[in-house]
Amino acid sequence: MGRTLVSALLVLSLSTSLSQAQSTWTGGDDLPTSPLACDGTPAEAAAQPYDGGEPKNAPDRKGKEITVVDVPKLVGIGYFNATSKGIAEAAEAIGNMDAKTDGPSRANIDDQITLIDNYITSGVDGILFAANDPVAISPVLKKALDQGILVVGYDANSQPDARQWFVNQAEFNGIAKTMIDSMAAEIGEDGSFAIVTSTFSTPNQARWIAEMEAYQAKCHPNMEWLETVEAQEDNILSFNQANTLINKYGDDLDGIFGMTSVATPAAADAVTQAGECGNVAVVGLATPNAMKPYVAAECVKSVVLWNPVDLGYAAAHVLRAAADGDLKPGDTSVEAGRLGELQVINGSEILLGAPFVFTKDNIGNFDF
Amino acid sequence: MMSEAVAQPARRLRRQNFAQRLFAEYGQELVVLAAIAVLFVVVTLVNPRFVNPNNLVTIFSGNAYIAVAAIGMAMVIMTGNIDVSVGALIGVLATIAGTLAVSGYPIWVALVAPMFVGMAINAVIGVLVAYARIPAIVVTLGALSILRGGLISVTGGTWITDLPPDFLIAQKRFLSVPVPLLFMIVLTVLAFLWMRYTAFGRSIYAIGGNREAAVATGIPVERRLVTVFAIHGAFAGIAAILFATQLQVIQSTVPPNLELTIITATVIGGVSILGGSGTVIGSTLATILFATIGSALIFVNVSAYWLRAVIGLLILATVLADMWRRHGRNGAAA
Amino acid sequence: MNYRALLRHETFLAVLLAIVLVVLAWQSDRFFTVANLLNQGRLMTEIGLIAIAMTFVIATGGIDLSVGSILGLVAILLGVFWQNVGLPLPLAIVAAIAAGTLAGLFNGLIITRFKVPPLIATLATLALYRGLAEGISQARSVRGYPEWFYVLGQGEVLGIPTQLWILLIGALIASIILAYTRWGRTVYAIGSNEVASRFSGLQVEKTKIALYMASGFAASVAAVIFVSRVSTTRSDMGTGIELDAITAVVLGGTSIFGGRGTVLGTFIGLCLIQALKNGLSLAGVKGDGTIMLIGAVLILAILISNVFERSGSR
Repeated sequence: MGRTLVSALLVLSLSTSLSQAQSTWTGGDDLPTSPLACDGTPAEAAAQPYDGGEPKNAPDRKGKEITVVDVPKLVGIGYFNATSKGIAEAAEAIGNMDAKTDGPSRANIDDQITLIDNYITSGVDGILFAANDPVAISPVLKKALDQGILVVGYDANSQPDARQWFVNQAEFNGIAKTMIDSMAAEIGEDGSFAIVTSTFSTPNQARWIAEMEAYQAKCHPNMEWLETVEAQEDNILSFNQANTLINKYGDDLDGIFGMTSVATPAAADAVTQAGECGNVAVVGLATPNAMKPYVAAECVKSVVLWNPVDLGYAAAHVLRAAADGDLKPGDTSVEAGRLGELQVINGSEILLGAPFVFTKDNIGNFDF
Repeated sequence: MMSEAVAQPARRLRRQNFAQRLFAEYGQELVVLAAIAVLFVVVTLVNPRFVNPNNLVTIFSGNAYIAVAAIGMAMVIMTGNIDVSVGALIGVLATIAGTLAVSGYPIWVALVAPMFVGMAINAVIGVLVAYARIPAIVVTLGALSILRGGLISVTGGTWITDLPPDFLIAQKRFLSVPVPLLFMIVLTVLAFLWMRYTAFGRSIYAIGGNREAAVATGIPVERRLVTVFAIHGAFAGIAAILFATQLQVIQSTVPPNLELTIITATVIGGVSILGGSGTVIGSTLATILFATIGSALIFVNVSAYWLRAVIGLLILATVLADMWRRHGRNGAAA
Repeated sequence: MNYRALLRHETFLAVLLAIVLVVLAWQSDRFFTVANLLNQGRLMTEIGLIAIAMTFVIATGGIDLSVGSILGLVAILLGVFWQNVGLPLPLAIVAAIAAGTLAGLFNGLIITRFKVPPLIATLATLALYRGLAEGISQARSVRGYPEWFYVLGQGEVLGIPTQLWILLIGALIASIILAYTRWGRTVYAIGSNEVASRFSGLQVEKTKIALYMASGFAASVAAVIFVSRVSTTRSDMGTGIELDAITAVVLGGTSIFGGRGTVLGTFIGLCLIQALKNGLSLAGVKGDGTIMLIGAVLILAILISNVFERSGSR
């Protein structure tokens, strides 16, 4: 009996100590970064030729009624609920467009691919998508293009040649700058911060983190980057992870970044319940409704996001414009209803605008 | 196959000292407890902040909803059945609670309703398992799809916000003990005592240990099974409340693989998957072990990329340690 | 073992499948076309391969929950062997499949040597293998495979998707093994009564180890096909596929307690699920409605089959 107990303990402690070798990790990806200028001078955008794809033998859809399906990463979270609201709003405003949202119930690349494949067979005119994986989704999107279906992405891109246009909510380096600048304004140039993200393999989050790292090194070199923890799309785990960070670093932790609309409110709740409001700043990407209590309590000062309703709205307009031939390769802007003219960047991306910062003063104006 | 795992404590109870008896009866619980203790010692040596009171609260209270759900799961598994739909059920019940709370019903209705809805849903599952004789994994795989799909098609994925402050009981403290922790401890102890000292409770072991023998001794097996599933539903309801009231937002999705986490906690805690043995103390300890591991790995700076591999290794080590304990003593007998 | 009852479940399931096909074809004229059906075959190959191996495992009264994690691990290893280690791609494929089979062997050893119940053993390795996949990948994807590799997951051979051939051949071989060989009878014997099979001199341990290896192998082949189909690797590939595969197996009439089940049944179950997923989507039903219906079909199919069986045996 003693022997077995000792051995059990041995196995446990061994595996714990084995894994103690520390390495630095941030959770960013390894693609090249392009941090913006510290003072906000807009980057000189080099004009790029169109690099999107083209639907083959597409019928003339100008002015005709089209059916469109919107396939987000997953259904059941506030963010994509808001984008699909925007798509529905645009479809109603446009009139000759019938749009519905149908997504996987978990953020799973295979479920999403199967869904899109089914809609290709069912003969829709257009597909709007937010990719769970930029590469994995591309074969099925190319198949859609081959069958003359219009393909427009939003939120999370595919490979450029697998779709026509991608509505970019805000450029990665723009988000990174806004996030880091907001944090620096709250915790100072020598503050230290940690990050709660979904998973390291989620492309958008990994990209933002990499850009944040580059921008912070360039413009706020004295800030200290403590660590990045994963919390899936799980709000209780996000809450626990944020708590653990607070407990681990104590007064050495000045701020927490939430990288998803799930992680940010959970981190804010952790700070609130730990009584650390004012001591630990929370800055993050989140939808306003979920953040209102924390912003009202002045526990969170800045929530960074684009407007996802506008994002969906713009994506639907872009698809309609592509169907009508109003948006062709080489064009530099597109008309998007109440949003006005949107610029084409990076060859085949349409920029929604600069990231938006929700604060106590304006958060009440938004409901999503 | 079922008969191999009949609880055998009674056989060994004679002429053994207290420690041996304790180990014979609660071996797996002790292994898990020891694992928690070792982690605490090792991690505290590396980083003393690990044992600061706030972190203890995070560890013991943060996963309380999983522990509560695991109590019900333990009962189901002890009868030789399983439930893979509980994660989706918790999601449904949390949404029901939140919806009631924001649509003007009294708070207590919102807090109690999930228990009854959970009981009702799981009673149906229990009837299909006990009377229609469909294997539990089949029924609950089906229920998983129905509940998960139903949740999304009803809510459309909308989150519930603006919850009334009184509803958020998981954020409150009672005599400075966090409510989730209180629920976890009280329910674990009550369930343990109930299963050990009441005729009904003991019949759960009997059904799982040897169904034919249980029938022969006059236990109404079918009715008991339905009741056990219903009780499991009630625990899922309480777990859903703890889950829903921890934060100020209720998502209409639950953590991916929540059912597997709950099942893992139950079986790592020593509940035999073949039925008939184990305790709910084990399942609660196993939940605490998971929370301890998760926190510990952050405190000792394990690369986050390897975190899940280390968790997997620790789980495997616990399982193997238990098997070694059993077979090392009893020879090679299964 | 009741052979008549067995046939009855499969006949019933086949009839159900036929009805579903007719109804769905009537609902949408795009459903019952050669191109669509072949395409569905492409989409169900990975689950299908895993489900076939799972049929054997469940027929012995076991279960393998780690298949999704093995799939993820093999996908990552394939990329790492090819890109980071620098093996030629064919060799990398073989090495990755070998590693996945070893993972299955490890499952088998834990189950037979340490007498850990399969559900617990594979729950533990589910966490372990997924963790290894994450650790090894460091959240990096490997992309840009040579063109020939995509033939496997995106191409066609004789007008039929390449991987569908693999699934059909695999199913054929597996059903012959299970139905007509000594080895297949051993599987049923273990599932019906393990102790008795041991006493009657059957090689229970060896058979079980081989089955878990086969399960790991099937998951590995599925992983390679999956990578070829989506042209990238990710450590979260295959998450949750174990429950999909088990659904197909039990819908196909394999008893979760062991001793009963056929590859044909699993195959029909698989087709039924895929037809529902696809056909309902074409008929305008959304994804959440579809999974609800599949859940209901699963419960009802087994319920009705149970009723038939009992009324027949009385």
